[in-house]
Amino acid sequence: MKYSFPYLGNVLVYKKLMEMLGYEVVVPPRPTQKTIDLGTKNSPEFACFPYKMLMGNYIEACEQGAGIIVSSGGHGPCRAGFYGELHERTLRHMGFDVELIIFDSIKRDLRGDVSKFFRLKGKNSLRKVVSTGRIILRMLKDLDEFDKKIHTMIPYETVHGSCLKAFEEIRMSYDRCWTMKETEMAYEEAKELLASIKLEEVDERDKIRIGVVGEIFVVIESSINMDIENTLCSLGCEAERSQYIGEWVDHNFFGKGREKEILKMGEDYIKIIIGGHAKQNVGHIVDYSKRGFDGVVHLMPFACLPELVSQSVIPRISEDYGIPVLTLAIDEQSGKANSMTRIEAFVDLIKNSKRKKMSAKTA
Amino acid sequence: MKIGIPNALLYYYYGPFWTEFFKELGAEVVVSHSTDKKTVDMGIGVSVPEICVPIKIFNGHVLQLLKSGVDYVFIPRMASVEKGKYFCPKFMGLPDMARHSIPGVAGKLLTMDVQSRSENIFSPKMYYSIAEKLAVSDKRIELACRKGAEVWRKFRKLGLGGRTIAEAFEGLKNPNRIKEPVKIDGPKIGLLGYVYDVYDEFVSMNVTERLRQLGINVLTFEMLSNRELKRYIKKMKKSLFWTFSDKLLGGAYKMFRERSVDGVIHVTAFGCGPDAFLGKLLELESEDSGIPFMTVRIDEHTGENHLQTRVEAFVDMLKRKTVPVGDAI
Repeated sequence: MKYSFPYLGNVLVYKKLMEMLGYEVVVPPRPTQKTIDLGTKNSPEFACFPYKMLMGNYIEACEQGAGIIVSSGGHGPCRAGFYGELHERTLRHMGFDVELIIFDSIKRDLRGDVSKFFRLKGKNSLRKVVSTGRIILRMLKDLDEFDKKIHTMIPYETVHGSCLKAFEEIRMSYDRCWTMKETEMAYEEAKELLASIKLEEVDERDKIRIGVVGEIFVVIESSINMDIENTLCSLGCEAERSQYIGEWVDHNFFGKGREKEILKMGEDYIKIIIGGHAKQNVGHIVDYSKRGFDGVVHLMPFACLPELVSQSVIPRISEDYGIPVLTLAIDEQSGKANSMTRIEAFVDLIKNSKRKKMSAKTA
Repeated sequence: MKIGIPNALLYYYYGPFWTEFFKELGAEVVVSHSTDKKTVDMGIGVSVPEICVPIKIFNGHVLQLLKSGVDYVFIPRMASVEKGKYFCPKFMGLPDMARHSIPGVAGKLLTMDVQSRSENIFSPKMYYSIAEKLAVSDKRIELACRKGAEVWRKFRKLGLGGRTIAEAFEGLKNPNRIKEPVKIDGPKIGLLGYVYDVYDEFVSMNVTERLRQLGINVLTFEMLSNRELKRYIKKMKKSLFWTFSDKLLGGAYKMFRERSVDGVIHVTAFGCGPDAFLGKLLELESEDSGIPFMTVRIDEHTGENHLQTRVEAFVDMLKRKTVPVGDAI
């Protein structure tokens, strides 16, 4: 039986996890237009975009022989909590013999999740699972750290493409790791590699920082969000996402991280957690503006339920904190040229207003 | 003191309770008039373009109330009315959206969190938070809750007897002349849709009346008791986690599996998230049972004629199935 998983972010880590536990893995191909077309064809018309993307993703994985797909779920009120049920039904309807193992909220269905955990554990000893988990978590966090780091370097690199090339090398070196020691060594090497990249000297005041917030799938997965971070970087801005898988794991499994603080900041605008990451996103926008970011790009899948609420309150936050926000709805119909024009115009406006502020200060 | 209640969304389900509740507290209750083109247009003006029609209409009603000079607009946060189930995120963020996107609401917003383990949302505990704002004692809130609950139960009883929500509202108004539930000798159609879609005459263009004029017996989910709605849902590994979508699904399963109707029509609003999934489940169920199924999707641009044509065609098809070949319908 071959195992697979959804394509989201640094998939290398999920692959490593399954391989370390001794399973045969099918890595689903990086989503392309074909994936999205396949998904759209087999989904309800008004389902949200991540649902369609995952649908296409699963179909491609099944075509390559996946028999079990492991993913995370949820339990409302966002639609993502029901993805697994419908995906499984649709795949079976299409004639694939596949099973979805979905980890829902641990608080709600502890017994179910524990039994799923033991199924995945298989013949591995508990000790091995724990040590594997530690290595994987380390990898996840390291890769997130470098991911974050390079997007503050790309705008200033002297040799075009050197950062992304380095990141690819880092990923490959992590792929070769099997033990904690090797991982630690890969980390040191990676740090050195990044330090060796030549950067232009840019005055701190001339740097432009843009935060990317929004629904977790479209924020993290670069193949469906027009590679937003690199796009912003190519326009000369530093970019930082609000969501990283490592942070997600930290918060959901260990209750660590800044998420509590972020939620607090969002309280004024959305009082309770309404599903998805609406409240977190609102908090992140406040956080970015407090940290002196120059603008925020808000990504949402078309007709995403929680993000529509945050979209409704964003103009007010923008006014209160004086931070420009650009909302982009993404779905199977979105054209790159249209979004590109909007992003370019947005960045131009930010650059202009920053220049004006600077000259007003010096005058 | 004038308190405005928007005649939209869950007013169609909990309206009688809220109206009685605020009357008991000594306030003058203003319910916005039923939806018309102008209300919709006003709502569109202050809403995000992609949001579903019912929310746009709701915003229109809020504006309508503000214009009529009320002191407060009552916008509850509908979080949960069933253990482990929620509302669509838009309901849970309703006061937030209104406060931050509709000009003039901020100072007049009267809100509270509806967080209940059952459909009976009359626990005074939830309403104490508004006692201070209205300058009434907690005791008075308790009394008002009790009085309101009585009215609501009467309202639900009328509905469970086979009357539509519109008829139940009518029955509450004229308790002396309560009409018998309409019984028509003809095919039976299950009409599935949220109360704020089906009973908003502007949205649904009064589809219940249209069906009846065509000689159809209409069955809706609020005519079924909670026990009946739960019967088939209980067996599901994971059911839908939105209360009203779950009710619709339960109603649909009962209709399809007990074969108690001749056809099912699903009325849904453009951009309704939960319905995208619910609709798929209904489709699969219709395939399995062989009972005809139609989806009517409505939005702010819908014309009346297309609905009439589709409903008539559906009804003709159902009737033809029961009439022997060669006979006139």
